[in-house]
Amino acid sequence: MSEIDSSKTAMSPEEQKAYQARQKQRAVILAGLLMFMVVLFYFITIVKIGTAS
Amino acid sequence: MTTASQTMLGLASAKDLFALTKPRVMSLVIFTALCGLLAAPGTIHPIIGFTAILAISLGAGASAALNQWYEADIDAIMKRTSERPLPAGRMDRETALHFGIGLSVFSVLLMGVAVNWFSAIFLAFSIFFYAVVYTIWLKRSTPQNIVIGGAAGAFPPAIGWAAVTGDVTLMPILLFAIIFFWTPPHFWALALFMNSDYSKAGVPMMPVVAGRKSTRHQIFGYSLVLAAVAVAPFALGLAGTIYGAAAIVLSAVFCLLSWQVSRSQTTAPDDMAMEKRLFKFSIFYLFALFGAVVADRMILS
Repeated sequence: MSEIDSSKTAMSPEEQKAYQARQKQRAVILAGLLMFMVVLFYFITIVKIGTAS
Repeated sequence: MTTASQTMLGLASAKDLFALTKPRVMSLVIFTALCGLLAAPGTIHPIIGFTAILAISLGAGASAALNQWYEADIDAIMKRTSERPLPAGRMDRETALHFGIGLSVFSVLLMGVAVNWFSAIFLAFSIFFYAVVYTIWLKRSTPQNIVIGGAAGAFPPAIGWAAVTGDVTLMPILLFAIIFFWTPPHFWALALFMNSDYSKAGVPMMPVVAGRKSTRHQIFGYSLVLAAVAVAPFALGLAGTIYGAAAIVLSAVFCLLSWQVSRSQTTAPDDMAMEKRLFKFSIFYLFALFGAVVADRMILS
């Protein structure tokens, strides 16, 4: 069972809404950071291959 | 059973996680690391250079998070730090610990994989030094906490240098020494007018343990050593006249302000204008001196 189940955590509707909003905000930021790292590692790889050859 | 407020604490906001990295301190770390990188002989690809600075910044952020994880109790007592995410109750300690360890591991791996493993080990050591040697071991046990702990803040320019050259020579050691000897007068000037905060929290800062008079004299003493170390790169022929002129002028002003602080007998924090002036100038001093290192290398080379 999920840890944020309302019967277990006794969250009010407002708290649940705030919790979900925070979850969403973190997910969006994390996705952005992951995209940034993908792009960064792509360029690092290009530079490393270029240096090696 | 998990309560609603505990669940919210376990899911800290992105803003609070960012605050955990002490962004203002990080700006100085980024700047000095960048200066070390730009002043080093040799070349580094801009992408690799950017990655090196990013890894150093993440490492500094990780150290700050681990520092706040351990110091949540004393941060809650001090007015200056009571609004940080942990003492203000916006985040639980476990989150801060996991965030700090995760960021540490990531920053070191990033540095090792993208730049070189010498800098990565150097970065790992600097995180260990700040989080364990300074925060856990020294800060609460000796008034020399700032002196030895200052080494942690002095690593970034040497790591930036090592990112380019893969080793450490006399010049990065001198850059390290500049921040090392700059730290005591900088922090003790702050501690003089924040004395009540530190004594309330039981942190053995120099003014709390040795008294204000001794601290003032030590500030001046360290300023003289700092001036000698700051001028050394020019005197030894490792830096040119632009750096030499900047180091002499800035250090002379630093020593003058420290001298005024050492002569002062003010005890009321609100009246400590000279101490506040020295504290503010010390920040400008470091930015200007490291800026001069880069300007000297860029212009003269």
